[in-house]
Amino acid sequence: MSLTQQETKPAMNWRMISIYGGGLTALIVLFFVSLCYGEAAISLHDVWGALTNRQGTLEHNMVWDLRMPRTVIGILAGGALAVAGALLQTITRNPLAASDTLGINAGAYFVVVLGAILFPSILSQSPFLFAAMGGLVAAFAAYFMGGGRTSTPVRLALSGMIVSMVLGSFTSALHIFFSMETQGLFLWGSGTLVQNDWTGVSYVWPWVTGVTLLALILSKQWDMLELDESTASSLGQKVGLARTSGLIIAVILAAVIVSVIGPIGFVGLVAPHLVRLSGVRSNRLLIPGVFIWGAALLVGADVLAKMIHNSSMELPTGAVMAIIGAPWLIWLVLTRMKAGNGAGMTTSMSTGGRVRRFAFTPIAILFSAITILLLLLSTMFGGMRIPLADLLPSLFQSDGLFSGIVQLRIPRTLVAAGAGAALAISGVLIQMAVRNPLADASIVGVSSGAGLGAMMVFILWPGLPMYVLPVAAIAGAAIAAAVVFSLSWKKGLNPSAVVLLGIAMSAIAGAGIQILIVRGAVYGSSGYIWLTGSTYARTWDQVKVIGIFLLILVPVAWWLARKFELLVFDDNSASGLGVNVRRTRLMAMTVGVLLAAGAVACVGTVGFIGLIAPHMVRLLTGHKLRQSMFLSALAGAMMLVLADTVGRTVMAPTEIPSGILIAIIGTPYFLYLMYRSNWRKAMK
Amino acid sequence: MKKGLHALFIMMAFVLVLAGCGKNATTTEPSKNTNLGSAPAEESAGPVTVQHKRGELTLDKPAKRVVTLEWTYTEDVVALGVQPIGNADNTYYKVYVTNEAALDDSVTDVGSRSEPNIEAIAALKPDLIIANADNNSNVYDQLKAIAPTLEFDPYDGDGYNYDKMTTIFNTIATALGKEDKAKEVLSNLDQHYAEAKEKLAAAGKENFHFVLTQAFTYQNAASLRMFSDNSVVAGTLNKIGLVNDWQPDKLENYGFSTVGIESLSKVQDSNFIYITQPDDDVFGTAMKENSVWKGLNFVKEKRTYQLGSTTWTFGGPISSKVLVDGVVEAISK
Repeated sequence: MSLTQQETKPAMNWRMISIYGGGLTALIVLFFVSLCYGEAAISLHDVWGALTNRQGTLEHNMVWDLRMPRTVIGILAGGALAVAGALLQTITRNPLAASDTLGINAGAYFVVVLGAILFPSILSQSPFLFAAMGGLVAAFAAYFMGGGRTSTPVRLALSGMIVSMVLGSFTSALHIFFSMETQGLFLWGSGTLVQNDWTGVSYVWPWVTGVTLLALILSKQWDMLELDESTASSLGQKVGLARTSGLIIAVILAAVIVSVIGPIGFVGLVAPHLVRLSGVRSNRLLIPGVFIWGAALLVGADVLAKMIHNSSMELPTGAVMAIIGAPWLIWLVLTRMKAGNGAGMTTSMSTGGRVRRFAFTPIAILFSAITILLLLLSTMFGGMRIPLADLLPSLFQSDGLFSGIVQLRIPRTLVAAGAGAALAISGVLIQMAVRNPLADASIVGVSSGAGLGAMMVFILWPGLPMYVLPVAAIAGAAIAAAVVFSLSWKKGLNPSAVVLLGIAMSAIAGAGIQILIVRGAVYGSSGYIWLTGSTYARTWDQVKVIGIFLLILVPVAWWLARKFELLVFDDNSASGLGVNVRRTRLMAMTVGVLLAAGAVACVGTVGFIGLIAPHMVRLLTGHKLRQSMFLSALAGAMMLVLADTVGRTVMAPTEIPSGILIAIIGTPYFLYLMYRSNWRKAMK
Repeated sequence: MKKGLHALFIMMAFVLVLAGCGKNATTTEPSKNTNLGSAPAEESAGPVTVQHKRGELTLDKPAKRVVTLEWTYTEDVVALGVQPIGNADNTYYKVYVTNEAALDDSVTDVGSRSEPNIEAIAALKPDLIIANADNNSNVYDQLKAIAPTLEFDPYDGDGYNYDKMTTIFNTIATALGKEDKAKEVLSNLDQHYAEAKEKLAAAGKENFHFVLTQAFTYQNAASLRMFSDNSVVAGTLNKIGLVNDWQPDKLENYGFSTVGIESLSKVQDSNFIYITQPDDDVFGTAMKENSVWKGLNFVKEKRTYQLGSTTWTFGGPISSKVLVDGVVEAISK
């Protein structure tokens, strides 16, 4: 980006007026509308009367002490998140940065929930400290995972999303284990602006106004970050200082907001873009404009949330914001991103593994042996432990001492193995197709699409028989992926476009799931557990479903493997080799998506296996697709079988959903992997 | 949010108890008939047939070893003088359900209500499982493979209203061969209602108008479940002549609307009866300085009445009795 401030004055002024004037007008109108909506019917006349001439009547008090704090907190939160987003975009030189895409919101929220359980007394006094700590750690994790200063926008967004996913699954774990303690926290983790009184506002406003003013005072120093890297680095230490101060300010703003209203996404992404559209570049002008538009956006989203409110429950404002914000991201990708051949997409498939390569055969034998061992062990443990001596007779005879119980366990274990394998193969294919080691099926919207489909069956038509559920999940996954693919088709299925559209799609579907959870109200808890991924009570029906998917799709992938392998090269070389890149990519992604859809239909949205299993294999052996598909499948099966076994054993009779265990087991490994890849890169 | 530490202790205790149960299950054969306390003479011994969500279920003989997967049915079984051999989530049963329907220590915990442990249920060798359609319909076939399974959906149709409560109670009684006991329980209950009415009349509170809510804090804001007439609690209070003023445009299946305190302005002339948990004092300190709350007529005129925290709002006959006792005591003070 070059400095374009030397424009003619009149044009600049006109833009200023439209940004500030337009924004302020919108905000004032929305402010008033927001005061008019609520549970009780208060006439327009009364609202106006309350504003101009407050009497102590109940209506006036409701306007002033219930609706006003809610609106004001919306203004403060929207403004703060937008400023945080704008700053993060500047300091990372990345148009996709924001407190939600960098994982700050998720980190802050996770620590707040954890604090509520472990240190309730400290938390009630200073939730902000917890939130800031969590937010900062998450931001650093995302930033370094994404490759630090050398990261591309998409890679950073991806790593931020993964950090959010990890922390999100930790938070769900807390919600499930401590459901009675945490149910009061937020509406299933998506922000809501509901306020009882002014305490929230009085806590937030000094922070938000103070820190925003500080940002305004410091604003000049961030302008130099817009210079190109070489010029900026010649300024030396000042750049580092500017970056650090910008990061700290952004984290403080986001953390204060999250600790009071919960995580709300997309404000920090949309508002700065909106203002930048006008050509404003200098941070001094940008920050106030962004604040106004962020406030207007969030208050607007909240008005919509209040309008949709029904008598059973309130819609979380965060879900509405996602529905407004995600299409914006789609539009941004479609209009701003150059159609193309993947040039500029410099992400590497390497995760720095080249330490030690083992021959394929011994590893394959070892993996197979471990898988079989785990399958056997898995039938021993559970709600009750079966001694080894009794296991074999019970396995092979129908009248063994524990045959009944073993009969319950066998299909469950097989489903876990099959779904794990399917997810892992799907990960291999999709990573290859979008040429990014951080991708898996959930990145292209499959998991949330499937979740949305299944949730609809769960909640909108609870009378439908259960076998409709996998069908709905597969349909949801296929629709989500089809939308992503067709939108990015014109971009040559460019990996960056696919990933960004996938993120937008996931956000929309995720918001849809939240709306359904809220509509389905309190007791949809089995649906919620299903969403976090669960091998609970699976039967031969699911074994058949996953079996069919594997039997059809794995041979297809095997057969096409040679072709797919060429996708590793950049698009120009691949087409030079005679590959129709777009079509091959589509085939690889379709097979990957279908496999993942089958798995999701059987065990819910289990994450991470598609990410981790291929990495692990890549670390051990080469890039040959068939080999890595085989080994990844075994690795995925091992992981899910292990998670299933542990989940039903350690806290028996209470079960821990496998999806959560996978996240807990997988995260350290994943962080290690990311750390290592970047560390090695830096050493080179 | 002050409930964490306390809950952590409960949780730890919970885990320990569960670990203990798990071990027992592996080593001991399920002991026979440790559960029943009532005289066998009054029981019918032949086959019994009952209606439930999945049609008709016939048992060769009345069930003795019952596993219940939802507290409503647990309470029904206890009201019939029978302790189930297995129940879902014993710990929170104690927190939410009155100790007049207390469980013995002998009752095995079979996991959470939403994902009860199938293996633990199988290990108990029950002769009847009572499941809840909301949570357990996807495992119905597996449960049925273990033992005959009754499935109820309390919230379909008109919701879990008073008639539904007695229907389910009577159905369970038939399955357990306890029809006489059920008649006795229900007629005692009616007797209890009559006495409560007299007490209210003596206190000058007949035709007392009310709204009833179970409230908790949701993200630092009050969230209120306002019970409508299609709930068992409102139905119970109607029986003692009280009049529910919460009449929403649309009846929700669960029998309550979820609202914030703004909605209370519509019913501020009624009397406000509420249930909160001891560690979540929704209408206490948090509301002291709240202008809207203080401005509501029933607050100004001190017409708010608190019930005990173990007043289970989706219960059976025992919960109805406890509710009536609580309300009569609270409002005739």
